Amino acid sequence: MTITINHYLIVSFLLFSIGFLGVLVRRNFLTILMSIELMLNAVNLNLIAFSRRLSDLTGQVFSIFVITIAAGEAAIGLALTISFFRQKKTLDVEEAHTMQG
Amino acid sequence: MTFAFHASDWLLLAPELFLTAMGLLLLGLSVALGKTKEDFLAFLATVSVGITGALVAFVATRPERATPILGGAFVVDNFALFFKALVLLSLALTVLASARYVGAAPYPGGEYYALLLFSGVGMLFMASGNNLISIYVALELMALSSYVLAGYFKAEPKSTEAALKYFILGAFSSGVLLYGLSLVYGAGGVMGLPELAKLLASASRSNLLMLGILLILAGLLFKIAAVPFHVWTPDVYEGSPTPVTAFFSVGPKVAAYAILARIFYVAFAKFHADWGFVVALVSAATMVLGNVAALLQSNVKRMLAYSSIANAGYALLGVLGFRTEWGLWGILIYLLAYTFMNFGAFTLIILLESKGYAGESVSDFNGLAKRSMPAAVVMLLFLLSLAGIPPTAGFIGKYYLFTAAMKAGYAWLAILAVVMSAVSLFYYFRIAAAMFFTEGSPAKLKSSYALSAVIAVCAVGTLVIGVVPQPFLEVLKSCVLGR
Amino acid sequence: MDALLRDHLVSVVVFLPLAGAVLLLLLPRSAASAARNIAFGVSVLDLIVSVPLWTRFLVGVPGFQLRERIDWIPQLGITYNVGLDGISLLLVMLTTVLTPVSLLFSLTHVEKEVRGYSVAFLVLETGMLGSLVALDLALFYVFWEVMLVPMYFIIGIWGGPRRIYASMKFFLFTMSGSLLMFLAILFVAIRHHTATGAWSFALEDLTRMTFTGRVETYLFLAFALAFAIKVPVFPLHTWLPDAHTEAPTAGSIILAGVMLKLGAYGYLRFALPLFPDAAMRFAPWLGVLGVIGVIYGAMVAYAQHDMKRLVAYSSVSHLGLVVIGIGAFTTMSLSGSILQMVNHGLSTGALFLLVGVLYERRHTRELDAYGGIAAVVPVTTALFLIATLSSIGLPGLNGFVGEFTILLGTWLSPHRWWSAAAATGVILSAIYMLTLVQRVFWNPLVVEENRKLTDVRPSEFVAAATLVVLMVWIGVRPNDVLDRIRPAVESLQKSVAARQVALHESARPEISEVRR
Repeated sequence: MTITINHYLIVSFLLFSIGFLGVLVRRNFLTILMSIELMLNAVNLNLIAFSRRLSDLTGQVFSIFVITIAAGEAAIGLALTISFFRQKKTLDVEEAHTMQG
Repeated sequence: MTFAFHASDWLLLAPELFLTAMGLLLLGLSVALGKTKEDFLAFLATVSVGITGALVAFVATRPERATPILGGAFVVDNFALFFKALVLLSLALTVLASARYVGAAPYPGGEYYALLLFSGVGMLFMASGNNLISIYVALELMALSSYVLAGYFKAEPKSTEAALKYFILGAFSSGVLLYGLSLVYGAGGVMGLPELAKLLASASRSNLLMLGILLILAGLLFKIAAVPFHVWTPDVYEGSPTPVTAFFSVGPKVAAYAILARIFYVAFAKFHADWGFVVALVSAATMVLGNVAALLQSNVKRMLAYSSIANAGYALLGVLGFRTEWGLWGILIYLLAYTFMNFGAFTLIILLESKGYAGESVSDFNGLAKRSMPAAVVMLLFLLSLAGIPPTAGFIGKYYLFTAAMKAGYAWLAILAVVMSAVSLFYYFRIAAAMFFTEGSPAKLKSSYALSAVIAVCAVGTLVIGVVPQPFLEVLKSCVLGR
Repeated sequence: MDALLRDHLVSVVVFLPLAGAVLLLLLPRSAASAARNIAFGVSVLDLIVSVPLWTRFLVGVPGFQLRERIDWIPQLGITYNVGLDGISLLLVMLTTVLTPVSLLFSLTHVEKEVRGYSVAFLVLETGMLGSLVALDLALFYVFWEVMLVPMYFIIGIWGGPRRIYASMKFFLFTMSGSLLMFLAILFVAIRHHTATGAWSFALEDLTRMTFTGRVETYLFLAFALAFAIKVPVFPLHTWLPDAHTEAPTAGSIILAGVMLKLGAYGYLRFALPLFPDAAMRFAPWLGVLGVIGVIYGAMVAYAQHDMKRLVAYSSVSHLGLVVIGIGAFTTMSLSGSILQMVNHGLSTGALFLLVGVLYERRHTRELDAYGGIAAVVPVTTALFLIATLSSIGLPGLNGFVGEFTILLGTWLSPHRWWSAAAATGVILSAIYMLTLVQRVFWNPLVVEENRKLTDVRPSEFVAAATLVVLMVWIGVRPNDVLDRIRPAVESLQKSVAARQVALHESARPEISEVRR
């Protein structure tokens, strides 16, 4: 079996969907952070696959940008999570309900 | 794609580079000074924004700006300049409105101003972004700084919670946006918007492309807080420090509209029929939900959060109107008006907040007319403008948006917008009634020069655009994007 | 100065009150008596300045006079475009008379936040005058909205116990109507732009457009709704009794005297010429609603115990008559309607004023709290009686001329039964108004406090007497007014008929009958 662009797209779509659903249904902030990472990596896979198929480097360059920014995002996300944990002693999203309406 | 640096590139990048440098300087000073000399830092931040503004004005006069730089990723057309001016305006207003608030908070002010300036840099790049990569990076620079700003009161559970919610939904929407970008890239292999436009002009509809466009739309709709991506807004607005809320309600939205306009007006114009329908539905839902939910609020910050959701719905009429230039003009003038009136209204809340989170309920506006007539009158002006009553800036903005929608064949949506404007009168005038018709605490209002200046600028802007709009409309006319 | 008054007389009249308001804002807030006097002085000055409008207006000449045109927002084709015809002239004069009258009354009776009160009144006057002279739809809309805000505050700050509810209701009712009108204005202007390539909001340009079918119907309804709420046409009248009951006396005078007229005025000035076909199609409905308004208003008025509420419902009834006259659309009925607008302004203004006089002394408006005070306050009684007689249409006073012209004009239209029904309304109005006078002034004096009532003060007398003099003047020399109305009415009819002919190759039979 030859691996075509479609296979890459399917894998990346699955990864993206898992991440997407993870953000929506998981209740632990850390798991949500990981789900977001999954989404971003699905994007990277897409970009690289397309880049290869189109014989164009831009996609790979973009994916490096995405990786860099994902690192920054993770740093901030973890910092905020820790700050939340310090106050609530939990990572459960259901506990984030100080404001209502 | 040719890629080379020229001396003129540095020239055109001067505002962004300068603002970045000042942000770094403030960050360094913050480490050195801690919780002292905050007035000086505020002053420094103000001056930085002012000089950046001067640099933008200088760049505007340079002939070099005719050609895009950085391999076509960065353009300084009139459209970009308009948004840069708007971004710097909201930045300057935020810095001024923050001084007292930040000074009273137990956290170092330098960090705050540095984050604000970094977020500003991101927005400046967004205004000029002409390439999917540069747009994305700029967007993230703005967003990452904003997440931290929302959580600036790190010991306040409300603030942390706001930041965390903002972060998760923001990162989530970035992921969605990115996935869309990758699909659009896959359709043609180009990242530059003009190239993309050229490519798509001859492309046929493909499912992958449509999915990409819709995901990009969804990601951007989140940034402007449109329904159903609005869930973050009320909590973030309520939980964040009020100057930050004021900033969120204008700055990031303005910048998001800049890229929304560039991407959808330039690159995706051909498929207007496909995404237009989605935008119409989202706009309708946003107006209805924003206004109806605002009716039910008793917290003014939350009420204004829903009102700003509703306003995003009105502004989407302009996106729909992208069939003609009117859509573009509508967004530009509306955002200008919105910056003045919405920021002004938020500044009045800051004025009323003696400390922390006090002074946010509608009843805190009780008897404001007795305490300070000018404050009450000015607040009334902002409310009238938000409701779109002439002769105020909000009216001119709505005028353009409604015209754009009708020209694009969405008369039903314009009617809905008008009906919803009528609904919005209910809650805007609840504040008006509280200010003028009821008795409240007799305490005198304590203002500062900075706050008074912000309110004055907003009031003058709101009134002048409403009464003598001509010069502003002349500027608008020059801000057309080529496609 | 001379040149200013010569070439920009209309603008001077419109903006003088606004200038006064700005001047007042420069005063310290505590300078109550100065604010009062300046506001009154400015309004009197405006009245004086407006007199040349009346004298310089060329009688018998159709079309707009004393015009001024300056580009305001050229990019959008919005102009500052003002001028007068007979209809607007009369209402402008009514406004410049009623504003000083109501401020004169307020001189002695308003204590709270006098400066704000004076500013609100002067801004209101500019809003009303501007709406009456604007010949550009965008400009009209701006003035139309400017008018709402001060009235909202006048009711909400200086009103009675339920003032917040009443002011909110007033504001939301009128505002929702006008927002739809704004959209319709935009739509018409966009159509004009598409057709001609130029932006314009000028009435003359836009009336040249023709709309057909459903589009015209919707546009017409958007305009008509805004104006019908303002008049108010039954069943959109529910805000009116609340607003009147809660508004301070001076606010009621202006509200009933001028603002309600703006609804009918807007209909005649904008809705009719812009959408003649739809207007003609809906005219029968308008007439029927007018008839319902006349009879319903009269019957509800009869049931009231609160004097102000009674007068408010009588307004619904009297304005129903005006609506019938417009619906019938004969030269005579239209002239009568316009005249009756002025008459109603004078008589109802006077009635509200005198109710205010009694209220300021006894702090109650209950009918039962009075009775038999004719001997105690003879001057008040006399003035009240004259205003009542004017209101019920006694020959020799203005009300008679207006009502008679409407009834006769309607009788000449295809809708004779309206005339008959409206006549019943006139009789009913005689019943409830005379009952009011009977119960307040003549029945036996049972409440002891009423013996100590004081008669009108000089300022109150001057205010009421001014209105009485005008009532008698119009009653005796109605042609002074009617001559100024007729050319305007005729040119209105002519333009509507011309458009109808253009629309249908053969004019419909009822139209030709109307044109006679």
